Amino acid sequence: MAGAGASAGVPPKRLSTAAQFFAEDDQDAETPGDNAPKTTYDRVVELLNQASLLGNDTDKISNLRQVQELIIHKDPDLLDNFLDEMIAFQNDRSVDVKKCIIGFMEEACKKDAECLIRVIPCIAHLMQDENVNVQKKVILCFAGLYRCALQWVSKAKTVSPEMSTIWDQVNHIKSTLAELIDSDNDGIRTHVVKFLEGLTLTLSKKTAASEVPKKQEKEISLDQVVENGRLIRLKKLEEEGQQHFLTLVQFQGSPHISSINLMTVMGALTNIAKQRPGFFDQVVQSFEALHVNLPPTLAKSQVSSVRKNLKMQMLALLRHSMSADFINKALPKDESRKRKLEEPGTSSKKAKIEPLPEVDDDIDDDIGMTPWVDRSKKHTPTATQRQTAIDVTAEDLLPRLTVQHVADLVLLSMVMLPDSMPAQFQSTYTPIAAAGTDSQIKHISRLLATQLTMAGMGKGVGELKLQAMKKSEEPADGSSPAYDDGGTSPKQLIQTVVGGTTAQEDEERADQLKKAEFPAPVQAPPPRKGLRQFKLETVTKPLHMDDLDNMTLHIFKRILHSEKMSAANHIHGARTKILACLTSQFGGPLKDMMEDHIFSDLRSRYDLAFSWLYQEYSNCQGFSSSASTTKTVDFASYDECLTRLLKTLSEMPDQKDGLFHRLILEAPIITTNAMQIIRKYCSNEEHTEAGMNTLRDLIVMRPKNRLDFLDLMLTFTASEKAEIRNPAILTTQKLYENPQLRHSIEVYAVKQLKQLLTEKPEADVKRFPGAPGEPDGWTDEGIKAHLYLYLGLLPNNHALIHELANIYTATSADIKRTILRVLEGPVKGMGMDSPELLTLVENCPKGSETLVMRVIHILTDKAVPSPELVERIRDLYHKRVPDVRFLIPVLNGLSKKEVISALPKLIKLNPMVVKEVFNRLMGAHITANASYVSPLTPDELLVALHNIDPNKCDMKTIIKAANLCFSERTIYTQEVLAIVMQRLMDQTPLPTLLMRTVIQSLSMYPRLIGFVLNILQRLIIKQVWNQKKVWEGFIKCCQRTKPQSFQVLLQLPPAQLTNVFQVSPDLRMPLLQHVQSFTPHQLAHIPPEIMTVLETEPEPERAETPMEQAPVARQVSCTFV
Amino acid sequence: MSLSEPQELKIAIVCSSNQNRSMEAHSFLGKKGFRVQSFGTGNQVKLPGPSPDKPNIYDFSVTYDEMYKDLMRKDPELYTQNGILHMLDRNRRIKPRPERFQASKERFDIVISCEERVYDQIVDDIEGREKELDHVMHLINIDIQDNHEEATIGAFMICELVTMLYASDDLDNEVDEILQDFEHRVNRPVLHTALFY
Repeated sequence: MAGAGASAGVPPKRLSTAAQFFAEDDQDAETPGDNAPKTTYDRVVELLNQASLLGNDTDKISNLRQVQELIIHKDPDLLDNFLDEMIAFQNDRSVDVKKCIIGFMEEACKKDAECLIRVIPCIAHLMQDENVNVQKKVILCFAGLYRCALQWVSKAKTVSPEMSTIWDQVNHIKSTLAELIDSDNDGIRTHVVKFLEGLTLTLSKKTAASEVPKKQEKEISLDQVVENGRLIRLKKLEEEGQQHFLTLVQFQGSPHISSINLMTVMGALTNIAKQRPGFFDQVVQSFEALHVNLPPTLAKSQVSSVRKNLKMQMLALLRHSMSADFINKALPKDESRKRKLEEPGTSSKKAKIEPLPEVDDDIDDDIGMTPWVDRSKKHTPTATQRQTAIDVTAEDLLPRLTVQHVADLVLLSMVMLPDSMPAQFQSTYTPIAAAGTDSQIKHISRLLATQLTMAGMGKGVGELKLQAMKKSEEPADGSSPAYDDGGTSPKQLIQTVVGGTTAQEDEERADQLKKAEFPAPVQAPPPRKGLRQFKLETVTKPLHMDDLDNMTLHIFKRILHSEKMSAANHIHGARTKILACLTSQFGGPLKDMMEDHIFSDLRSRYDLAFSWLYQEYSNCQGFSSSASTTKTVDFASYDECLTRLLKTLSEMPDQKDGLFHRLILEAPIITTNAMQIIRKYCSNEEHTEAGMNTLRDLIVMRPKNRLDFLDLMLTFTASEKAEIRNPAILTTQKLYENPQLRHSIEVYAVKQLKQLLTEKPEADVKRFPGAPGEPDGWTDEGIKAHLYLYLGLLPNNHALIHELANIYTATSADIKRTILRVLEGPVKGMGMDSPELLTLVENCPKGSETLVMRVIHILTDKAVPSPELVERIRDLYHKRVPDVRFLIPVLNGLSKKEVISALPKLIKLNPMVVKEVFNRLMGAHITANASYVSPLTPDELLVALHNIDPNKCDMKTIIKAANLCFSERTIYTQEVLAIVMQRLMDQTPLPTLLMRTVIQSLSMYPRLIGFVLNILQRLIIKQVWNQKKVWEGFIKCCQRTKPQSFQVLLQLPPAQLTNVFQVSPDLRMPLLQHVQSFTPHQLAHIPPEIMTVLETEPEPERAETPMEQAPVARQVSCTFV
Repeated sequence: MSLSEPQELKIAIVCSSNQNRSMEAHSFLGKKGFRVQSFGTGNQVKLPGPSPDKPNIYDFSVTYDEMYKDLMRKDPELYTQNGILHMLDRNRRIKPRPERFQASKERFDIVISCEERVYDQIVDDIEGREKELDHVMHLINIDIQDNHEEATIGAFMICELVTMLYASDDLDNEVDEILQDFEHRVNRPVLHTALFY
C-alpha cells in the first residue's frame, strides 16, 4: 500500500478547525509518546494500518475519519493515492465502518469528481448490502453523488467512454433507488424520500426567489448545467425532476402512508417549495389536500404529530417570499379573523390561516404562546373588506339553520357515520360549550359555507362570479389593492377560492360535507391558495340557446329511452333520480315528455312520477342545491307537477290501481289546485267511493289541512246524487267516530240544518253539484240537501235529535213534511232503546208533536214497543198532550183497560187511522214476533166496541168501527163471532148493537143460523122487547131468518107477537101458513092467544114506533144488503 | 462481535430549564448506562421562587452549584422544603451547568422532549439549522408535568421507551410500532417526528 507522496511534508496553510481538532486529538489519544512530527502521508498510512488491525469499531471509525479529514481537507493531493485503500474498507464487517466509508466516498467525489469512476461501482455494490442501515446510508449519500456526477459530466469537454459508462451506472442506481420508495422498510422509504428531495432539487432550476440554505448554495442545480450533447438533455432532466416531485406528492397523498414517511415527505416538499418556488403552489395545494384528508391509518397521537408538523411546514412556507401572493388571495376578511380571535384554541389548525405577511423571524421568541394568538393582534386591517364567497354563503345559510333543518342534517349524516371514530376526528374534537347560541350557529354556518364553497355550491359562489363578471367589464383601475399583487384578476381569485381540486379531493368532499354536519370538528380548511386548476367554464364557450335546448331535449330523450338498459344494469334508481332532477330543473317540454313517458306505461313507471313530484317539492322548499337561490318558498312548479299528474290520473279509465289515491296521499303538500281536482274526481259517480276513501285518509293523516279536506268531504254529503251522497255520508259517519273530527262535523251539520230556518236557501247551495241554479224558495231537494248529513249522524249521536226537534218546530210546513219523510231511516237506526229518543218523547217540545209522533210510529212500525217507550208515551198522553194518536203506536204496550178506555177516541179518528189501530191491536203488522200478545183479543175488541158508552161516541162511529172488524174475515171467523155474540148475550142490559152484530154475523156466515136461532130464543127469555132497539133488531133478525125463525116467533108472548106483526106485517101470513101446516098434535101446543094473534089482521101500529128508529132500521137494513 | 452491531444510540432528554424532568431522566438513564445527555430549551433557567409570580431566573451559563448557593442564601428552609435544593444538589453531581439545546452542535439519534412546547421549540430549532442532511433524528415527546413526582415517573417511562428503542435492529423501520406499543402501555399521547440534519 504505497504511493508516491511528493508533497507530503508541507503542512497546508488552510487547516480546518475540525482537522486541527482531530490532529490534536490524535496526538493526545493515539500517539502520546511520539514527538516527531510526521508527514501527512505517513500519518495516513499509519492510521490505515491501525484501522485494518483494530478490532474495535469505534476506534476503527475514528481512524478512518481522521484519514478522511487528512486526505480530503488537509492534503487533497493524497486523495487519489489512498482512495482505493479507503474504499477497501467497504468490505469491513462492521456496519458503521461501511457507513463511514460511504460518507467518505461522497466527500471524496465532491472533492474530486474523477473519484466517481472508482466509487460508483462500489456504490452499486454497497447498495445491495444486506444491512438496511448501509442501504440507507447509500441512499442518503447518493443524492450528493449524483450531483457530483451531473456536474462532472456536464463540465466535461469531451465525453470519454469511461464517463458515459459511469453516467449510465449512475442513472441506473438512481432509478433503482427511486423505486425503493415502495420498499417494505419504513426507514428505507423515509430515506428515499430524502433522496428524491435531493434529486428534485438538483433536477430543477433555481430562480431568484429560491431560498437556499448557505451550505447548499454551491450545490449544482439544473440552471448551472450545460447541455452536453450526448449524455445530458436539459429538458429531459427537468422533466425527470418534475417526475420525482410528483412521486413525492403522490407518496404524500397515498392513503396508508406511515406517520414518519408522511412527516418526512412533508419536510421534503417544504424544502423543495422553498428552494424551487416553481413548485410552491403545488406543494401548498398538496398540503391542503393532506390537511383535509389525513391517512385513516394514523393513530391518535400520530395525527397530532402530523398536524403539528403540517403546521410547522406551513409556517415555514409562510416565511417564504412566494407566500405573500397566496396570503393576499386567501386571506379571510377582517371580520372573520376577529371572530377567530374570540375563540382561540378551538383548533390548532386554524393557525394555518392566521399567520400573515407580518409574520417574521421573531417566531422563535414567542415562547409559551401558540404563534398566531399573539401575532394576529398586530394585524393591520387589509384594504379589502369584500365578502368572500364563504361569507356570502354563510350569511345565506345562517337563517336556514333552524332546529328542524339541523336535526334533519344530523339524522341524515348518522347514516354515513363510520363504524369507529377516526383518529383525526378524535384529535380535533372539542366539546361544544355554547351549543345553540347565536355565535355558535354563526360558526357552524360558516363551516358549512366553507364546505359548500369548496364544493362549488352555495349562494356566495354565484354572487362572486357575478361580481367578477361585472368587475372584468369595468376598466381595471386598481381599486382593489389586495387583489393587485401578482396581477390576479378577481376572476382568478374566485377560481382559486372556489378551487377546482384534485381528483382525489373529490372523494374527500363527500367525506368533508358529512363531517361538516357535525358542529364539533372545527375543520375550517385553509382558504385555497393559488390553485390554478382545470376549470370547465374557462375553456368552454356558452352554447347558443336553441342548440342548448335542442341538446337538452335529446339528452333527456336518451335517458328516457334507456329504461331497459338501466334496469338491466341495476341503475334504475339513479336513472329515476336523474330524470326527476332534469325535469324539475329545466321544465318546459321536458315536463310533457316526462308525463307522456310515465303515462304510456303507468304501471311500471309510476315511481318516476313520484320521484318527479318529490324533486319538485324539494326544489320548492329549497332542500336541493340547484334551487338554493330562491328564498321565498314558491310552490308554483310543484303545483303544476302535482296538478298535471293528478289530472291525468283522474282521467284514466282504469282506476283499479289506486294510483290517484296513492299520489295524493304521498304528495308532500296538497295545493289548492289539487284540491279542485280531488273535488272534481269525487263529483264523478264512478270515482266517488274511491275519492271518499282518499279524502278520509287525507283527513286522518294530514292534521294540518284536515279542515279543508273535511269541508270538501262535507259538501258532498249534501249532493243530490245518492251515488255521491251516500258514500260521503257513510265516510263522514266513520270519521264522526273520531273524537278529533267530531266537533267540526257536528258544527257543520248543525249549520246546514239551521239554514233551513232562513227563508230562502243560501246562495252557496249552488256549489252542491247539480244544485238548482237560482233558488226561489225551498225545493224538496234543497231541503233534503241540508238534512242528509244531519240525519246521517243521528244514529251515531242520538243527542242530535233534540236540535232537530227544535229546528223542526221553527220551520215551515213544507220543510216539516220533508223532515218527517226522511226521518225514517235515521230513527230506525237509533232504535227505541235510545235514551235520547225517550227523552225527546218525554219532553216533546211544543210544536214538535208531529215529529215525535212520527218518531214513535217509525219506532213501533214493526216491533213491539218497549215498556220504557210505552211508559213515556203514557205519561205524555196523560200529563201534557192528550192526543190519543200518541197512543196508537204503543197500543200493544198498553193494558186492556187503557185500550178500552181509549177506544172511543180512537175510533173517532180518520178511518184509515182506525184501521191502523185495529191492525195494531190484532197484531197484523207484527210478523216475526210469535210471542206477541195483544192486549185485546179480536173478540174482546168487538165486545169492547159494543160496550162503548154512546155518550162518548155516537153510534155511527161505533158501527163503522165494528164494520172494520167484520171486514177482517180472517180474524173474525164464525167461531170468533159466535163467542162475541155469546158474550154480548150474557150482558145485561143487552148492548144496543147486539142484534146488528148478530145479523151481520149471520149474513157473513149463514151457517151460524142455528146459533142465531138459539140466541133469539134466549133473547125471548131475556125479554128482549124491553129494549126497543134490540127488539127491532130482533124482529129484523127473525125476518131474515124465516122460515127457521118461525119456531122462535111462536114462543113470543102474544103481545109481543102482535107487535112483531105490526112492525113486519109480511111475517103473519107465512107464520100462519106454517102453523096451519102443523099436525093436530102440534097445533094443540099452540096457545089459543097466539093463534088469535096469528089469525087477526094486525092493526096499523106504525105510529107507535119512535121516529128515530126509522133511520136506524134503515141503516141496519142498508148494511144487510 | 456481531456483524451489524449498531453504534450505541445517542440520546438527549430535553425539558424547558434542564433542571427537573430532563435531569431526573438523565440521572436515571445515566445510571443504567445509556449514552444520554440533557438539555433545556427555554431562554433562561427558571426555578420556583417564594411565590408563583416571583421565580428565580438564571442564565444558562450559571452552574448548578451557583444556583444552589444562591438559594441557600435566599431561603434555605423554603428551598429545602420544596425539594429544589435537593434537586440542584443532584444536578451538580451529574454535570456542571444546565445546557441549552439550541446551543448544542451535537447530533443525536433520539431526542426525547418532556412537553409539547419543548417539542415545538426543538423542531423549530432543527429546521432553522444549517443541515448536512445525512443524519436522522427521532424526536419524541412525552408530556410530563413539572414536579418531582411526575419527573420520577417520567424518568421511568423514558427509560422504558429507550430500552425498547435500543432493542430494535432497525429503528427507522420499527420506531412507529414501538411508539404505538409504548403509547398504549403508558396510556399517554406521544408525539413523534423524524428530522434530518
